[in-house]
Amino acid sequence: MTIALQVLISGLAAGGVYGLFAAGHSLIYRLTGIVNFAFGDLVGLGIFATLLVLAGTSPVTQAGAHEPRFLLALVVGLACCVGASVATYFGLVQPYLARGSTIGWVAGTVAVAFAIRAAIGAVFQRSSYVFPDPLPFHRVGHAGFVGIGGAQVQARAFFVIGLALALALGSAWLLERTPFGRALRAVADDDEGARIVGVPVDLFVGLAFGLVGALAMIAAIAAAPGEAVSANTGTLLGLKGLVAALAVRFGPPLYAFVAGLVLGVLEAAIANVHLGGWQLGPAYREVLPLLFVLLLISIWPSREALEERE
Amino acid sequence: MTAAALGRTGTELRRAAGQARGAWSTGAWVAAGAAALGLLVPFLGLPGLRMDALASTVYLAVAATGLGLTVGAAGLPSLGAGAFVAIGAFTSALLMARAGWPLEPAALCGALAALAASVISGGVVRLRPAFLAVSTWLLAWLVWLFLLAFPSVSGGSQGLIVPVRSLFGLSATPTVHYEAALVLLVLSLLGIAAVRRGAFGLELSALRQHPALATSLGVPLARQRLGAFAFSAALAGLAGGLSVQLAGVADPAAYDPFLSFKLLVAVLLGGAAATLGPVVGVAALGLIGLVSDPLARLLQLPLQRFDAAVAAFLLVFVLALGGDGIIPWLTPWLSRFRRPRSQATVPYRSAAPGPKAALRVEGLTKAFGGVVALDGLSFEVTPGETVALVGPNGSGKTTALRLISGAMLPDAGRVCFGDRDLTEAPTRERVRLGIARTLQATSTFPELTALETVLVGRSARRCYGGGARTALATPRARAEEPAARAAALHALAMVGLDQQADVPVPELTSAQRRLTGLAAALATEPQILLVDEPAAGVGVEELEPLARVLAAIGRQGVGVLLVEHNLRLVRLAAERMIVLAAGQVVAEGSVAEVGESELVRQAYLGAQRL
Repeated sequence: MTIALQVLISGLAAGGVYGLFAAGHSLIYRLTGIVNFAFGDLVGLGIFATLLVLAGTSPVTQAGAHEPRFLLALVVGLACCVGASVATYFGLVQPYLARGSTIGWVAGTVAVAFAIRAAIGAVFQRSSYVFPDPLPFHRVGHAGFVGIGGAQVQARAFFVIGLALALALGSAWLLERTPFGRALRAVADDDEGARIVGVPVDLFVGLAFGLVGALAMIAAIAAAPGEAVSANTGTLLGLKGLVAALAVRFGPPLYAFVAGLVLGVLEAAIANVHLGGWQLGPAYREVLPLLFVLLLISIWPSREALEERE
Repeated sequence: MTAAALGRTGTELRRAAGQARGAWSTGAWVAAGAAALGLLVPFLGLPGLRMDALASTVYLAVAATGLGLTVGAAGLPSLGAGAFVAIGAFTSALLMARAGWPLEPAALCGALAALAASVISGGVVRLRPAFLAVSTWLLAWLVWLFLLAFPSVSGGSQGLIVPVRSLFGLSATPTVHYEAALVLLVLSLLGIAAVRRGAFGLELSALRQHPALATSLGVPLARQRLGAFAFSAALAGLAGGLSVQLAGVADPAAYDPFLSFKLLVAVLLGGAAATLGPVVGVAALGLIGLVSDPLARLLQLPLQRFDAAVAAFLLVFVLALGGDGIIPWLTPWLSRFRRPRSQATVPYRSAAPGPKAALRVEGLTKAFGGVVALDGLSFEVTPGETVALVGPNGSGKTTALRLISGAMLPDAGRVCFGDRDLTEAPTRERVRLGIARTLQATSTFPELTALETVLVGRSARRCYGGGARTALATPRARAEEPAARAAALHALAMVGLDQQADVPVPELTSAQRRLTGLAAALATEPQILLVDEPAAGVGVEELEPLARVLAAIGRQGVGVLLVEHNLRLVRLAAERMIVLAAGQVVAEGSVAEVGESELVRQAYLGAQRL
């Protein structure tokens, strides 16, 4: 019971972040029919830009952040992430999408992913970094851990879960209730039709690229002080978001968010849960969900998918 | 018995040698010279040459050459070539280090393991090509994360130490590895070049340009794409399995997803459209490395990071220039060394199956979401008759064709051909039995000529057009080629386009393109031909020739189901007519009766009340 609660809460916290990445992947796929392979790294760029302004490239302690400096850093980081995302769309996705060149946008987004990894690795040369905490979670409970029903849980986990939920529901509201959201849903249904009725499709899709990057980045930053960050952090988050989005076949963004939550809990369970004498262990945590989704998409039905091209 | 067989083999070999002499060109001399020079490199005593680095670069070129087939010919953007190299390398390394296997079988097992992984991750070839990028991206990370998470398998940060081995009886020094890699590279280049020129390459190219059209002509989409993808993977696995012994250690850090990216960059940099492109790309990356590595040391940047940045920059650069790569840029210059290949001709012989049969559909029903497109459609088309299926937009005509041709499955109802129930059969099976379909006007293969387009329609009639047979140029595969050409030319002549055989499709008029599509369907030697709106956008003066072509097809005993809006063409070409409205038959009978009736007018104009 104790371990179950611990798994659930830490899993939901990780899953909340995955969920925002999944929702972003899903929204972008529904808008454009592409998968942004650079999504995770674009967010990684924002995280490390924030870290650079906040603390430079030298090692810091977790309790090092001052609030005004942190806000400045966050704004700079968001600007980097959003700017690079929008630039990726207009520079390397939209031109090839318009030409119908799959290899173009695939290679383009992957190039951005590796370029960002290279840039982060060149500036931050140590293998991993501590992200300073703007909020004083280390003062809550025992050095940031609180006890619930015997389980020791990071206080930050509750904050991350709440923030991720708020962001997910907020963006769902944005999609459902605002003119911008309605326009995006129109593009997802039929981009030619949306163009004809006067929706500035390219501009809105470009903005959506930036928006999903910003949302995912805020959640990732909120969770970042809990673990060491490295150039792989963004990439892996993007990958897990993709796994969750694929599990619901790029369904509505909220479904993808929920799939992300499930993935988070599943990963925590794989790493920690004993069933009798049987335990998988942390080594399987990253590998099993990936393998599962790889097998899942290989049995997707296809006959009708082909007809769209006629 | 044996003597006769030997004699036949001798004759075949002499014929093959004759064909090879006929195809031998300046380019072939240059290539053979380059390969011979390449084999001599270790013995030239070049100063500063590191044999091990050169050999591993050649292994990399082998993997890239395989990837070129997937990316260039099949149009599948694989992001996991490095994962297959890794799978091959670790399988081979484990077998050598833990089980004491010799190098050759260990490397072959590596190739097999990569092949197995490609079949698993290649299930998505049936979907849009973008999904292969997704599945291979997942695979590339999966393999790397697995190697990191399981040090018991991968040797952890130390890597797996690979013991000393021999290669084909020689101690496996870098020089021996280099020679083996070069031979492997030349063989795979020759094989892939032959495959891309042959039937398999044509079908891959057709699938890349217009998957729905190629499938409707009976090209087996999943089989051909998976074949190309799995072959590349096996080649990558073999290269990985051999090169790991050269490296002496299987280090997980050397097989991160960047390796996959680097291979993709090499292919696109050199030019995916050309067989030799990936090799040129690997060479170009190697040469750039000679400059960029010292630069990185000068700037005190981590070497691997700098390589990644350079590769990413090169890729964006190539994409910005149009994405063709080095070889296609040089093609206008290179084509001076090429000469047209002489094509053997044989008289046309029909290979169509025997007795004629009727097409019968019973109660076909299909809904899309809540919209019922077809609601219990039943009719019959007998051999030799031309039946028009007419009705307003959205009445379900094209849906009916899709269900009959197997592009979609019905929610209810049956499609029967003679006494066979084909409701669930794949398109290729139906094409082989004699049900062919043309698509609507705009569907073409923009990179093919008229004759090549029609040759795609021969897919289901070929018995020896597979990749392996084409690569090895087996006697049957070679004999089949001129027969297929003869049949394709015959089909082109039936629609009156035999003079335009070698004209690229984009240079044809729109009516000619439509006829090319019709000829491609005819080349499948159908008994029932489903024709989708042949008159859309055709000028009035072109209607009668079109009707004559359709009539000629009917005279050969082919049953034609003509979906058409143009009632003029219907009157000219069809004998019987079925009127659809809202997915149901509202009238059926001879064109003379039904064509003039109020029902047809209503179906087209709607029941207008003023």
